[in-house]
Amino acid sequence: MLSEHAEEILEALWIQIEEQGKKPMDVGAFRDDPAIEELIKLGFIRRDDAHIHLLEAGRLHALACVRRHRLAERLLTDLLDIRENVMDTVSCKFEHLLHEGLEDKVCIILGHPKTCPHGKKIPPGKCCLEKRDKKLLKIISSLTDLETKEKGQIAYLETKNASQMQKLISIGAIPGVPIVLVQKFPSYVFKIGHSQFAIDKELASSIYVRLTK
Amino acid sequence: MLKDSAKHFCRSISYDDPLEVCISKIQGLLLSDYRMSKRALALLLLQEDKEIVDTVRDKEGERFDKIMGIVQETKTHYLRPLTYIISLRRQKEASRIAKLTVGFPGQQKLSIKEKLSKILMDPIIGGPILLAILYYGLYKFVGNFGAGVLVDFLEDKVFIARLNPLVTSLINKAIPYKLLQDLLVGEYGIITLGVRYAFAIILPIVTTFFFAFAIVEDTGYLPRLAMLVDQLFKKIGLSGRAVIPLVLGFGCDTMATMVTRTLPTKRERIIATLLLALAIPCSAQMGVILGLLSDNGIGLGVWLGVIIAVFILVGLLASKIMPGELPSFYMEIPPLRIPQVSNVVRKTASRLSWYFKEVFPLFIFASVIIWIGQITGVFSLVVKILQYPIRWIGLPDKAAVAFLFGFFRRDYGAAGLYDLKKAGLLSGNQLVVACITLTLFLPCIAQLLMNIKERGLRLGIAMSLFILFFSFTVGYSVNLVLTLFNIRL
Amino acid sequence: MQKIAVVGSPNVGKSVIFNNLTGTYATVSNYPGTTVEVSRGKSKIGNKEFEIIDTPGIYSFLPLSEEERVTRRILMQENPCLILHVVDAKNLERMLSLTLQLLEASLPVILILNIIDEARALGMKIDTARLEKELNIPVVATVSITGEGMDILRGRIEEHVKRFC
Repeated sequence: MLSEHAEEILEALWIQIEEQGKKPMDVGAFRDDPAIEELIKLGFIRRDDAHIHLLEAGRLHALACVRRHRLAERLLTDLLDIRENVMDTVSCKFEHLLHEGLEDKVCIILGHPKTCPHGKKIPPGKCCLEKRDKKLLKIISSLTDLETKEKGQIAYLETKNASQMQKLISIGAIPGVPIVLVQKFPSYVFKIGHSQFAIDKELASSIYVRLTK
Repeated sequence: MLKDSAKHFCRSISYDDPLEVCISKIQGLLLSDYRMSKRALALLLLQEDKEIVDTVRDKEGERFDKIMGIVQETKTHYLRPLTYIISLRRQKEASRIAKLTVGFPGQQKLSIKEKLSKILMDPIIGGPILLAILYYGLYKFVGNFGAGVLVDFLEDKVFIARLNPLVTSLINKAIPYKLLQDLLVGEYGIITLGVRYAFAIILPIVTTFFFAFAIVEDTGYLPRLAMLVDQLFKKIGLSGRAVIPLVLGFGCDTMATMVTRTLPTKRERIIATLLLALAIPCSAQMGVILGLLSDNGIGLGVWLGVIIAVFILVGLLASKIMPGELPSFYMEIPPLRIPQVSNVVRKTASRLSWYFKEVFPLFIFASVIIWIGQITGVFSLVVKILQYPIRWIGLPDKAAVAFLFGFFRRDYGAAGLYDLKKAGLLSGNQLVVACITLTLFLPCIAQLLMNIKERGLRLGIAMSLFILFFSFTVGYSVNLVLTLFNIRL
Repeated sequence: MQKIAVVGSPNVGKSVIFNNLTGTYATVSNYPGTTVEVSRGKSKIGNKEFEIIDTPGIYSFLPLSEEERVTRRILMQENPCLILHVVDAKNLERMLSLTLQLLEASLPVILILNIIDEARALGMKIDTARLEKELNIPVVATVSITGEGMDILRGRIEEHVKRFC
């Protein structure tokens, strides 16, 4: 199994190359790092004179690591209510405890979140594409995945699109507010307090609800 | 300057520490006068409200960069956008106050109204209900009662049988000049044509439509309709919200074009304006067309089919071609309410008075223009030019007159066709082709002016030119298909 | 002439309150530089005449559309000496957020709990005295379409304008 340190390097490499679209990483600081050798041996990365390159096997592994890291952040903020300023240190430890299988379960419980609390994309896993594991208890779910009449409190709004979020805030769809899904088709209709609102699927998918019985 | 009351009314919420520090830093840098508290201003700046940012840039000069620097720095303290943090805190305070003051939060039992509301929003039951509303509200009430019973009475019994002969003989006696007689009571005279069209044909149709619309509007049905059609409308580049101007267009396209300003993006406003100008017949026009084709069921079907096809096709194309932000739909669904008679009457009256203020002078204007056009010969020249495209779509030359009138009011043109049909000058095919072309044809002059006013000169003119060519092309194609397959309607 | 602005979210009965205050003599015109319509009318309160402005509906002080921007511009530039914030009483919790924003901006506000009959029918009891104390502004419950509470509202407006306008 990969060491925690090597996993972190792999993650950082992926974020720099794949997510931010920058050049491969300078060898620089990692010149004598044993983790680099470990990664090269596994066929995850390649090193030339000045740079470290990510290989396909490494990319897949890194993707899974990033997914675990960001899911861990979601779990900590949404479910355990860890304060944002201490989250980084905790989630870094936490992500290594989530392994394949377990990570998908966490993903389901959290309603297949699309972004981490920082607004960065969470790479989708197998469970997000299938979405059929209904037996497992959902705790948080996006409004689009709720059934009609299910209710809860708004847990958070997907923060990717600022103008859409602004619309939701202005109609009062704010975290902590009780919400009931009234209808799903042809548009999503929900009830907040004594008012009903209709929204399209785009907007509905950015409301995440903590379910209550 | 803030009023003396400012201190009295200031009541602020405290936000968490990093935010408070930044707010007070920004407050210290805002030295100009804004007519609202610096604290509120600082909060709006932190949320990067564009208008406020621009104002502050103008007023604070070199301090502006420093202020925005603080805004950027504040953002780094939080994972989520500041709007989110601020709104959340404010809602918490609102909820705290509500808990202290609201005795019982209210039951959540489904009332009868809510059950009815559910039925109206049901995609399966909702369809037939919409059709029923359209059938009874639009076809029966506006079409049969307004455009049928009322128009027949006013036009035949009042104007043609009584008023016109009376006024004509009075004027002919009083004014011995043929030219002036023509202006007032001739074939296209101000009184015999202008006033007659306005009061006998347009007034009853528009009144019944606005009355029916006000009832539907007051019940709260329209947002439910918007919610039902949103997904379909997205395909033509609009959101469900656009259903309100489009339905209003069946009453008066000019007024509906004005209402497109309630649509949130420019892209939606342009698409809606185009569809209104092209494929939504206004009530006056529809009343006459229903009258023209009422004894020709298949013809009416062909007309309806072509217009719907054009609506969908142009919408699909426009949404593909037009650049800009994709529409997003959010709308409050107000509780269903029983419409109040007084409110419905007031709304109908105010829309009607608006309509008449706008339309009646145009009828008079149109009569005068036609009169001038006739004595100078310009009118017959334009009619001659129009005869070419008219022949091209297989219509008799005389229809050119109706098309020219159509520019002054679309319904005016339709009513001109009515006269042609009465005279037995149009076959079934010709009637259908004429109705289709005229429905699609250039918007009336009032709508053209409104298009230019709302969308700008360039876009307004471009749209009109497109519609001019498009309507004749569709007319031509329909005529071609009917002839090729030897179909007689 | 001093101005009084009627603000609030859509569907809370702003226009009916406006009509009650002004009678029928309202003029509707486009707000300068926009295509948004704003109704204005006159009302005599006490022995002074005021211009009442019926603003386009807003959900928050952070505008999303052209119409909402116009409302904020009216509040900021026309300097009304009183703002009547109309809310749907049964949705007080959600709509209070705008009241708080208006107060944050140090604007002089009277809160109107409209459609109070529907709230009562739901079994809600709103302690207006407590609400006044919490917010430190006048609060009036009304049913604008029947005219219930309108006399009290006029009285509260009169008190306010005597002190501050």
